[in-house]
Amino acid sequence: MTNRIDRRVVLRALIVLVVAAAAVTFLGSLGSSAVASTPEVASYAAGATSDATAGITQANTIHAEAVSDDGSTETNRYLQQFVNGIVFGLLLALASVGLSLIYGTTGLSNFAHGEQVSLGALLTFFFTTQQTVSIPFVPVEFTIGWPLIPSALVAIVLAAGTGWLQDRFLWSPLRRRRVSIVQQMIVSIGLSLALLNFIQWWFGAERQRLSTSIDTRIDFGMFEVGQSTLWSVSISVICLGAVAFFLLKTRTGRATRAVSDNPALASASGIRVERVIRLVWIMATGLAAIGGILLAIYDNAAAFDVGARLLLLMFAAVTLGGLGQAFGALVGSLVIGVAVEMSTLWLGTDLKYAVALAILILVLLVRPQGILGRAERVG
Amino acid sequence: MSDAPVIVHADDLYAGYLPGIDILNGCSMEVREGELIGIIGPNGAGKSTFLKSLFGLVPIRTGTVKLGEEDITNKRADDLVKRGIGFVPQNNNVFPSLTVAENLEMGAYQRPKMFKEQMGRIGELFPKLIERKDQRAGSLSGGERQMVAMARALMMNPSVLLLDEPSAGLSPDRQDETFVRTREINKTGVTVIMVEQNARRCLQICDRGYVLDQGTTAYTATGQELLKDPKVIELYLGTLGA
Ligand SMILES: Nc1ncnc2c1ncn2[C@@H]1O[C@H](COP(=O)(O)OP(=O)(O)O)[C@@H](O)[C@H]1O
Ligand SMILES: [Mg+2]
Repeated sequence: MTNRIDRRVVLRALIVLVVAAAAVTFLGSLGSSAVASTPEVASYAAGATSDATAGITQANTIHAEAVSDDGSTETNRYLQQFVNGIVFGLLLALASVGLSLIYGTTGLSNFAHGEQVSLGALLTFFFTTQQTVSIPFVPVEFTIGWPLIPSALVAIVLAAGTGWLQDRFLWSPLRRRRVSIVQQMIVSIGLSLALLNFIQWWFGAERQRLSTSIDTRIDFGMFEVGQSTLWSVSISVICLGAVAFFLLKTRTGRATRAVSDNPALASASGIRVERVIRLVWIMATGLAAIGGILLAIYDNAAAFDVGARLLLLMFAAVTLGGLGQAFGALVGSLVIGVAVEMSTLWLGTDLKYAVALAILILVLLVRPQGILGRAERVG
Repeated sequence: MSDAPVIVHADDLYAGYLPGIDILNGCSMEVREGELIGIIGPNGAGKSTFLKSLFGLVPIRTGTVKLGEEDITNKRADDLVKRGIGFVPQNNNVFPSLTVAENLEMGAYQRPKMFKEQMGRIGELFPKLIERKDQRAGSLSGGERQMVAMARALMMNPSVLLLDEPSAGLSPDRQDETFVRTREINKTGVTVIMVEQNARRCLQICDRGYVLDQGTTAYTATGQELLKDPKVIELYLGTLGA
């Protein structure tokens, strides 16, 4: 049996990626000329505008040959941000793929998914830090201080366990009682707030570092990447590849896609839908934890609200890629990652979310079903 | 009526979707092994609800369903598949983002080994599907989807097949093909219970028909008798052409 994503889809995704990059560049140049009205930044912004217009062509042609002699440092900057964007996108994808799988199989927009990301990072901190730590409600303090990798593995297993626990004792009973999706969503918002406060109470409000070792940066000529980032990217690619393999090449994975398509029909075909959903929860929370850990390493540290702040970007990525399409979440995350990182060339980092939203609206205006979403034919 | 043993027995079913609202109020049916049963009735009579309640997709409030000697009232659908019932719903009866082959594989989900064995039989019944096995089901035409849906339901070699309006939305040619195929499947020993809009055509091929009106099985007789019944003609066949 052949299972492949058809080439048109990949092509389409690439086109959108390029268009999105161009759109950011364009928006960026608009943005910086608007900023130019403020005197202090006027000279900088004026420079940036001309760079940006030159950059429109440069940023899109990854082939650096097109660069004029004096523009080489510029290209460096664009390419560097592009690479950062891909890195961020890949890490974001780990979190959003799970969000998308949950949405696909149950219809739930899980607002508590951000906390699963934070939980992964902070549980790892819990096991790896040399400081004294304690467990809530247990009045003993102790030091664990394991190396990073075993700590991360235990954290991922525990985080995946919370997925099992949630579905077993919360979501599954709600589904069985036919609680509506909107009500479930509100429960997830409540859960998100509760978890956010719990995590803050447990780990404090400070940014916690998972690793104290100093990262060596590897120079690739046009851009450079930290060594730990390379590791993170590789792990992310392997995990995403494993998810793709699961969905396309294993029977359970195909059943997961079947449940996403039509749970009633899946049940009528003999698939134990509830079991598939349980597995999806375990996978989704596990992947979110991996995403959280890698993001914490990429960002040098993680705070209790790291996931909450990512949630909007995750939703944007999932919607952008096509709701419920697992591969859509990957493509959407890459687009959002690149857009967000490249926009920082011209706009303040505080505008990240505005940029993500702008891209989301732009794409949805052109393709209401999202990048990989398909308008099904009727009849 | 044949004197083969009774295979499906529904006794005075009351069922519905919303609390307190019964869509079915007193549906009974007795189906013997190897029969082809047609259920006809006006739109909204509860025909689909009846099939779904037999298959555990709509909760039954009172009444019992038996498969042979076994009580299967309100059993989960995936459990009923295991016991040899296949179901083709009226709408959304394929997995659109899965390929044709994957759709069929899902039909044999509980018995992966059946998948390979059954492909031969499916190939005989629906040669067209084998040509299109790598195409996404969502991109197929209505008639092709109907074939995928039937083939999927046949993968586990069910002894009873429930079909909900298999000819709906198809061109007259395709409708004929569907009826002929249903009869063929029935001839291979599968008991078929089909709901149909096209009452005349349905009664022509079925052994026995049930008329369902306002959630109640009003009467039953052989297909030929119902075709000649003045009341049935007036209510259900009068305006419907062949
Ligand atoms: N999912 C549902 N929820 C609530 N009511 C439903 C649902 N499906 C059908 N009904 C209602 O049940 C009644 C019978 O519908 P149905 O069994 O589909 O009729 P038929 O198949 O005979 O046309 C209709 O009044 C319809 O509105
Ligand atoms: Mg119906």
